[in-house]
Amino acid sequence: MPQADTQQFGLIEYVEDDVIEFPVGLPAFEQETSFLLITPLKTKPLVFLQSLGRSELCFVTLPLEVVDPNYQLSVSAEDSKILSPAGQTLTAVGQADGVQVECLAIISLTGSRPTANLLAPLVINRATRRAVQAIRLDNTYSHQHPVEELVC
Amino acid sequence: MLIIRRKAGEAFHIGDSIEVEILEVGTNQVKIGIKAPREIAVLRNEVFLTESQNKAAAAAASALLSRLTGADKSGM
Repeated sequence: MPQADTQQFGLIEYVEDDVIEFPVGLPAFEQETSFLLITPLKTKPLVFLQSLGRSELCFVTLPLEVVDPNYQLSVSAEDSKILSPAGQTLTAVGQADGVQVECLAIISLTGSRPTANLLAPLVINRATRRAVQAIRLDNTYSHQHPVEELVC
Repeated sequence: MLIIRRKAGEAFHIGDSIEVEILEVGTNQVKIGIKAPREIAVLRNEVFLTESQNKAAAAAASALLSRLTGADKSGM
């Protein structure tokens, strides 16, 4: 079983199916294309996105539906092509048609308060495990949405 | 904020090295051409915000984790 050296979690074992590929990386981290999703029971519903290339790089995220159950996903044509090369529509996990996607919002600290980036959620194709940070072209959602009650 | 009115084909300068030209004005979109030195980063606002937010998130991960789990890293 392959192992990953991580600063936050130490040496961890994983299976290839746990690896998420970001073909174009993440903005400001374009070189990092392979990540692991780690969901420790203790900190549920938080999901950690750990880089396989850089042991110190780990993003703290929350499922989008936890931050905003009514979130309306909007993925640009360019990003859709990465997630679904065949051009099928993207749907939430559990729905019957289209490509099932899992969405995560990256958590940061604004001042000392935790905020979620709802402007650019991570969208993961569950079947192919390919993912993209889907930056919205509109300004419907904030890049610093407060999530204090969810994180601490 | 400085506000100026320009028509398609008109341009303006920022400092000595940056020229911005309005190429086309549509009903809900304008096409803009930017001439700037290579070392000046030109980013769409949403990309700029996401880049800085990602950098902040990467820097905040340790602080967030220790707030969430205390010093205990055995919570796997």
